[in-house]
Amino acid sequence: MNDTFGTYHPIINFIYFCTVILLGMFIMHPIFLCTAIIGAFTYSVFLNGKKAVRFNLIFLLPMMVLVSIINPLFNHRGMTILFYFRDNPITMESIVYGIFTGIMFAVIILWFSCYNEVMTSDKFIYLFGKIIPALSLIFSMVLRFIPRFKEQLKIVYNAQKCIGRDISSGTFLERMYYGIKIFSIMITWSLENSIETADSMRSRGYGLRGRTSFSIYRFDSRDTVVSVVLIMLIILVISGILLGENSIIFFPLIKTSHITIISVIVFIAYFLICFLPIILNMIEIYILKRNKKSGDLDVSVYNK
Amino acid sequence: MSVFIINNFNFTYPLNEAFALRDVNLTIDDGQFITICGKSGCGKTTLLRNLKSVLAPHGEKSGEILFYGRPLAEVEQRQQASKIGYVLQNPDNQIVTDKVWHELAFGLESLGYDTKTIRLRIAEMASFFGIQNWFMKNVKELSGGQKQLLNLAAIMAMQPDVLILDEPTSQLDPISAVDFLETIKKINTQLGTTIIITEHRLEEVLPMSDRTIVMDKGEIIIDDTPKAASEKLAKMNHPMFLAMPTPIQVYADVINEEYSVADSIKFNKLKCPITVKEGRNWLSNVFEDKILKIKALEKSEIKPHEKIKPVIKIKDVWFKYDKNEPDVIKDLTMEVFPGQLYCIVGGNGTGKTTALSLISGINIPYRGKIIIKGKNSNQYKIKELFKGIFGVLPQNPQSLFVEKTVRLDLLEILHKSKNDEGEYLPLKEKEERVNEIADLLEIEDLLEMHPYDLSGGEQQRAALGKVLLLDPEILLLDEPTKGMDNFFKQKFALILKKLLEKNVTIIIVSHDIEFCAKYGDQCSLFFNGNIITTNTPDKFFSGNSFYTTAANRMSRHIFKNVVTIKDVVYLCKENLVK
Amino acid sequence: MQRKSGKVNVNKCDNKSKFINTRSLLSIFLYLICMPATILLGIYLLDDRKYYIVSMLIICYAMIPFYVLFEKRKPKTREIIVISVLIVIGVCGRAVFFMTPQFKPVIAIVIISGACLGGHVGFLVGSMTGFISNFLFGQGPWTPWQMFAFGIVGLFAGLIFHKGFLTPNKIFLCIYGAFATFFIFGGIVDIWTILMFTPSPNVETAILVYSAALVFNLIHTVSTVFFLFIFAKPMIEKIERVKLKYGLIDTI
Repeated sequence: MNDTFGTYHPIINFIYFCTVILLGMFIMHPIFLCTAIIGAFTYSVFLNGKKAVRFNLIFLLPMMVLVSIINPLFNHRGMTILFYFRDNPITMESIVYGIFTGIMFAVIILWFSCYNEVMTSDKFIYLFGKIIPALSLIFSMVLRFIPRFKEQLKIVYNAQKCIGRDISSGTFLERMYYGIKIFSIMITWSLENSIETADSMRSRGYGLRGRTSFSIYRFDSRDTVVSVVLIMLIILVISGILLGENSIIFFPLIKTSHITIISVIVFIAYFLICFLPIILNMIEIYILKRNKKSGDLDVSVYNK
Repeated sequence: MSVFIINNFNFTYPLNEAFALRDVNLTIDDGQFITICGKSGCGKTTLLRNLKSVLAPHGEKSGEILFYGRPLAEVEQRQQASKIGYVLQNPDNQIVTDKVWHELAFGLESLGYDTKTIRLRIAEMASFFGIQNWFMKNVKELSGGQKQLLNLAAIMAMQPDVLILDEPTSQLDPISAVDFLETIKKINTQLGTTIIITEHRLEEVLPMSDRTIVMDKGEIIIDDTPKAASEKLAKMNHPMFLAMPTPIQVYADVINEEYSVADSIKFNKLKCPITVKEGRNWLSNVFEDKILKIKALEKSEIKPHEKIKPVIKIKDVWFKYDKNEPDVIKDLTMEVFPGQLYCIVGGNGTGKTTALSLISGINIPYRGKIIIKGKNSNQYKIKELFKGIFGVLPQNPQSLFVEKTVRLDLLEILHKSKNDEGEYLPLKEKEERVNEIADLLEIEDLLEMHPYDLSGGEQQRAALGKVLLLDPEILLLDEPTKGMDNFFKQKFALILKKLLEKNVTIIIVSHDIEFCAKYGDQCSLFFNGNIITTNTPDKFFSGNSFYTTAANRMSRHIFKNVVTIKDVVYLCKENLVK
Repeated sequence: MQRKSGKVNVNKCDNKSKFINTRSLLSIFLYLICMPATILLGIYLLDDRKYYIVSMLIICYAMIPFYVLFEKRKPKTREIIVISVLIVIGVCGRAVFFMTPQFKPVIAIVIISGACLGGHVGFLVGSMTGFISNFLFGQGPWTPWQMFAFGIVGLFAGLIFHKGFLTPNKIFLCIYGAFATFFIFGGIVDIWTILMFTPSPNVETAILVYSAALVFNLIHTVSTVFFLFIFAKPMIEKIERVKLKYGLIDTI
């Protein structure tokens, strides 16, 4: 699926994920938590399709359950004692708390799975190219070397096989010995060949003063609109947090703050943040459909 | 205006008494295309590297190098970075970043240009080099030729006045190499950039260049136009002459004989040919209104092999890497007899290398039979195959080196090897065998060096040594002549001959038509996963009209069955001498 | 042809006093203002999740000076290249052994890097290996913790072996490797597990997590010692050789 949100300026992508992940790490209010998990789940499925569903079922669900179980076992606070487990009281509050922690865990993991899709390495290199230029160059070079390393590894593997050193057969010690040989060859190869890379860099003036950082990304008017909206929403949610609109207390008794107009506004803001990528995608799909229809008309006009 | 003026330049490497460069005097004018040639180790690279301060090797220097009239050492680094472009040998090692667009911008970023300027410059370059279609790609998706083109474009984006190229095509296949050289020519003619290039592929470069400089043992021995330079080389009877394009060699060999007065006058009128086209015209002129006594050479026949069994027999073999991928090898059938030098030629991606991997058992066909020494190949254990039967020299010799010195590396391969009685070899015996091989390959002097400090050709030899220590009966070589100069190719051929005499079977996969024509016993053309024709080299190459040697192409309109330079010269002389 | 914008000139000024100023200002800002502020905010605002978020942020702050220092000292080309290559070896080492969980050469490589090239480089190689390999395996809330843990292992390796307290021979490296993997790396990363799973940590959960992780940490330790035992000597030789070779060719 082509994701529109990913085509926005990297800084917007980055701020967005920082926001949702950080907010997701501590907002425990049930309504907010539900919004976040639905938003994150929808977006991850939108991005990854079937893969995401499978991942969620196989990895995330068991982890959620595990987290939900561990907490009440070791946390005996709370007033409402349901039963005793090995002489330890298990309280309703701690069970609810455990479940909420599990959901929160899932929210963070889900957001990270979206982050991994959207924040590709070149966006990251771009964002940090100006602040930490040498490190982001290292990052870029590592990404260039890794595929080369893998390619060479295959070549070395085959070459060694051709002189009778096959890792896939022989005794355990032999295979170990051959594996170490191959790794050793790879270390020499990558260190030695890097000298020519250094030559190429210096030959092209690396190390001169005043290096700039070029990128193909441009901050356009579309980005301005989205960033203004995003920042306003973030301010709304943060002020809501400061006002205590999303607070929930589990111990000794579960207590949430009352629903007021302000809390509804904060909730809507949070909802919009969590669903921002989905909303942007929907808008684009709608526009494309509309344009296609009018485009068809245009073509028929030209044909005449 | 002269770009470079080099006056009495000498250079010695540290810990080395011999001069790497001696008394070099050279003036390079704006807009010239200059080819520097010479044997490996003649000081070409040392000279080129001294033309850019950051790349200059450490060592003792004397004399001066002027860049536009100023001593090079005084020219700012910034100006050198931008104005002196330098393309190195290995396309992969030069690329620094992971994205094509980032690589193009790399030099401009170093020079501190703003985004707007860089955007314009790289757009220009991408359009000039026709790389706009892979502008957004990841570097790993590019082919070798594309990578070298990217390196060139990244340097041209800095708008250099002079472009220095150190054997830029040695790692490329012939087609990408020619494309690359054409681009260099285009830069020279359309942008007026001065070009200084060292190359093994003189057939393509010499016709393009304005001047040819021949170096030997650190000295410039010839500095002239390509034609004059090659004539001088011929007169000096210099080994480098063998690296010259075929037409020049034929020309020089033919006129080097006593002829009738009329013929001599005619020869003096005709100019030395460089390209195949000129060579054809030259031959036509020489044999104008002459009746040929001998028109064709006798064809050698494939020796009947009824009594000898083939050592490798491949029958109806099919192979693909993955179920959903297309077949790489389609219905391949071939036979190789013991003591043969069997050459497989063909374009890129036709499945040659895959065929080699099938023979050696690295890959296994999904249909068909491969019989090695009368036994189905899948009945062998990997160990049996690679200890005693096969020796495989990979394209990349570096993939074999493990140790600190060549000697240790050669000894390492004998680790745990046993003698006939099943005992481990004592160290003394191992050393003897290593010395024996070193002697055969002429690498005794290199034994104490680190394998990575050797030049490409030397690495190739050391790697071959490693493979030969396994005592193979069948030697499989993948592009063994890649990056070798013509001079060393001859030496290499001699080594192979020695092995053939010991009844070792050798299979070569190569792009190098000239080499296969000269030394092969049998040649096969690989196309689309299959062998199209197999024959002895003279029949094979005289039958092809495009995929054949330069000697054949330049003389096919007059002679028949001619493949090598020697053949053409022989027929010319036979027909001319009274 | 030299089109430098004014801003660049100011930023890249090589003035020594300014260099020290920026650095110390940044450290003061990070250590004296950001860290206490984060802790205070955490205590007053983030009732239940305070431990996790505060500790994560502090880990991030702790890493920043290393990166800034690296940028400020204007690393030479050769340094950049060698660091990249070591990171590549680390990342690929982690990828090559993907089928054996915990049995990985990464820490061994980080330790050798630190021992050969100093604590700072050790930290960078470690943390960047953690960061970049997570681009292949997937970033997650564990990323900063792993980066920090790998980095610290490399840093101490440099402090111990590069500064000359101990000679980097096989045995000392192996002993340090075992200690570093089990206590430093295992210790730090397991804190993440504790905080992630139980927002309000207590001794019981800590014991549970550490005992559950014991086997993994042991395998990890054994693998580090194994790889150090095999690779320490040849790899140090190789790095030293390249250092020498660069020394001969580097002029900038």
